Amino acid sequence: MSHKLTDGGQVLHVGTLARVEGEGGMHIEIKDGHVGTVELRIFEPPRFYEAFLRGRAWTEPPDITARICGICPVAYQFSACLALEDACGVSVPDAIRTMRRLLYCGEWIESHALHIYLLHAPDFLGYPGAIEMAKDHPAVVERGLRLKKVGNQLMTAVGGRSVHPVNVKLGGFYRMPTVSELKSLRPALERGLEDALETVRLVSTFDFPDMEQPYTYLSLRPEQGYPIESGNVVTTAGTAFDVQDFNAHITEHHVAHSNALHARLDGGGPYVVGPLARYTLNFDRLSPLAQQAAREAGLGETCRNPFQSIIVRAVELVYVFDEAIRIIDAWRDGVAPSVAVPARAGQGFGATEAPRGVLFHRYRLDGDGTILDAQIVPPTSQNQPSIEADMRTLAERWVELSDHDLSHRCEAAIRNYDPCISCATHFLDLTVDRS
Amino acid sequence: MTTPSLVIGLGSPDGGDDAVGLLTARRVAGLRLPGVTVVEHEDPTGLIDLWSGTGFAVVVDAVMSGASPGTVLVMEAGADGEPLAETSWARTGRGGTHAFGLAAAVELARALRRLPGRLVLVGVEVETVEHGSALSAPVQAALDAVVAAVVALVAGSEAVVADVSR
Repeated sequence: MSHKLTDGGQVLHVGTLARVEGEGGMHIEIKDGHVGTVELRIFEPPRFYEAFLRGRAWTEPPDITARICGICPVAYQFSACLALEDACGVSVPDAIRTMRRLLYCGEWIESHALHIYLLHAPDFLGYPGAIEMAKDHPAVVERGLRLKKVGNQLMTAVGGRSVHPVNVKLGGFYRMPTVSELKSLRPALERGLEDALETVRLVSTFDFPDMEQPYTYLSLRPEQGYPIESGNVVTTAGTAFDVQDFNAHITEHHVAHSNALHARLDGGGPYVVGPLARYTLNFDRLSPLAQQAAREAGLGETCRNPFQSIIVRAVELVYVFDEAIRIIDAWRDGVAPSVAVPARAGQGFGATEAPRGVLFHRYRLDGDGTILDAQIVPPTSQNQPSIEADMRTLAERWVELSDHDLSHRCEAAIRNYDPCISCATHFLDLTVDRS
Repeated sequence: MTTPSLVIGLGSPDGGDDAVGLLTARRVAGLRLPGVTVVEHEDPTGLIDLWSGTGFAVVVDAVMSGASPGTVLVMEAGADGEPLAETSWARTGRGGTHAFGLAAAVELARALRRLPGRLVLVGVEVETVEHGSALSAPVQAALDAVVAAVVALVAGSEAVVADVSR
């Protein structure tokens, strides 16, 4: 909706954003053809989640924090595991790291397939949503559902459940899937890889507004491979730092219009986490097949057009299918599912790449493992300032558009980030039971 | 004599009353009704594959429509019926992930022509969906009625507790 101000200005207001997780809205003020206030408003109440974790046992955060988000529980589980294992001075063996990566592939498949096909593609194909799009493009939507189903199958095989995995514990897993169980997934993964390649071809034909983001990109970069379940922090500003130095570089602050904290990098302007940042900082780490798919889609080795994030997500889909098949083919039975993580006093840091960007956890423990302090920095709160900056850029460029069209384009710009407002506010339904 | 049918319990096992669909499915499965297949499921986007090709399906889910906790709501939503109204209680469930919940699954399946000929949604109004909590007393008390409603539906009768308001 929009309305005129008494001073001749105009307010463009979308009360509730569609096709994003959680409750948020946007607010743009325009006066004399100039854009004034631009706000991504996040209404979901903060759940004071970190406060809730204080006093809990060191073994609990992987299970509890997974409930913050229905689409990226694995990200919460593994960022928590890394931070708590770091605090306890434990480093898990490579095999456990590899199985974590495989489970994380399942989450990326679920999340990217859902976002590309059911949430984002309607913006480019000119539909209000996936249901309307499905009437004209049933084969496209069916492909999206098929892709998501493979993600569910992988999550179920490794994590024990398709939505909130129950097989993850501090130090590893309760049980390792067998070679036989994993091999049975291979036909579905091969079909998924073909569907992912077809997805890249489809989205590369979309019409993209001409836009280049000037912001700094930030992602993880591991010693090997594309960043998913581990890595140190790198940025396009040339800085690189260990995850334990995250708070020395990233500062969070409140803004009046959002219940989620905003983040700054080294005191500077907006920075971006997520697919564009990962891709731009780690193109060399993609598999040859994913690199080839990106090139055939017309992407270079960097991508700074936020609307093309849909192509990058599709390329990442190709990568995680490729990677899941690689891991399954190399897997051998007989690996111990976990290592002991005895409590000790200390502080630990962990970060992984959730589908929508870097998710950072920090915990401080006392000698018996009681959590003294916890901190969670989710990707959407890091991206809020850049989302608002994009909206401003677009509103200024398209100020002559009708309110309806401008609203639609700005909403689409927000969806470029696949924002998860539930994560941004650490939304969580929890019963406080200290008995 | 029951007709071949599929009963799907939708929900989260550790989300308080959000587990009511799963618990209902478990109870119905325990009855071993002939011709009735029962599944428990968490992800609304997976519903379309589950019920695709089925003539008759019943989905039980937790809803938050503003009714009294424990209220049982029953609605026809199959290919032979009308699209769900904007104000339908079926649009007020927990919503699944990224705003894709039960109602979205129904309407997406309708667009893809993958709805069962007859689909009945059974909603149970929740009191709490807090993680780690047990079923609330009103929902626990309603469980027998929910199971009875599902059994009646698959037996070819109308659900006796039906509140067919859309």
